[in-house]
Amino acid sequence: MNQHPPKNYLIESILVTIFCCLPFGIAGIVFAAQVNAKFEMGDYEGAKKASEEAQRWMTWGIVSSLIIGLFYLIIVFAIGGFALIGDF
Amino acid sequence: MFKKIKWFAIIFGVLSLALFYFFINPNEASFFPECPLYYTTGIYCPGCGSQRATHQLLNFNVLGVLQQNVLYLISLFILGYHFIVTGINSIFKKKIYNYVYHPKTPLVILAIIVVFWVLRNIPYYPFNLLAPN
Repeated sequence: MNQHPPKNYLIESILVTIFCCLPFGIAGIVFAAQVNAKFEMGDYEGAKKASEEAQRWMTWGIVSSLIIGLFYLIIVFAIGGFALIGDF
Repeated sequence: MFKKIKWFAIIFGVLSLALFYFFINPNEASFFPECPLYYTTGIYCPGCGSQRATHQLLNFNVLGVLQQNVLYLISLFILGYHFIVTGINSIFKKKIYNYVYHPKTPLVILAIIVVFWVLRNIPYYPFNLLAPN
C-alpha cells in the first residue's frame, strides 16, 4: 500500500474560495475531503480519482479568475479610453 | 524551458499584483473589480473584502485585515502551517503529521466557511464586524 496520500489541493481550494470563485473553491474542498477520507479507508485508487477531480476544479477556479481579471482590465481601459475621447 | 517561462510569468504576475495592491487602496479607487455576487444580490460572499485585506496586509496592518475579512487571516495561517510542515519534512527528512491530510480537516474548513458566510451577512452589531467595510 502507498504511504503517501495523493495531493488533495485543500490549500489551493481555500485560496480559490477567498480570492475568486466560491463555487469552484467549495467543490475543491469537498473533493479534498474525499481524498482524505478515501485514503484513510485504504481506497488509494478512489483517493487518486478524487485528487484529480479536485485539481480540475482548482484549475477551473484559477482560469476563470484570470478571465474575470482580464475582462475587468479590458472594460476599465475601454471606459478610460472613451472618457479620454469624450474630453477632447 | 517552458517551465522556466511559466515560473517567470507567475513571479512577474504576483510581484506586479503585490505592487499594485500595496500602493492603491481599493476603498479609495473606483476601478477595482467588485465581487459578482455582491454586485448582483448585495450578499457578501466568504471572499468579499480580500482585495482590501491584501492592501492592508501589504501595508502590515493586521487589524485592517481582520476588519475586512477574518477568513483571509485564517487561510494565511493554514497556508503558513502547510508550508512549514512540508518544508521541515522535506529538508530534515522528518515525518511530522500534516493535519491538512486529516480526514476531518476539509469538513471543518468547509463548516467554518459556511458559518462565516452566514454570520457576516447578519446586519446587526456583533456580526456586522465580520462584514467588509
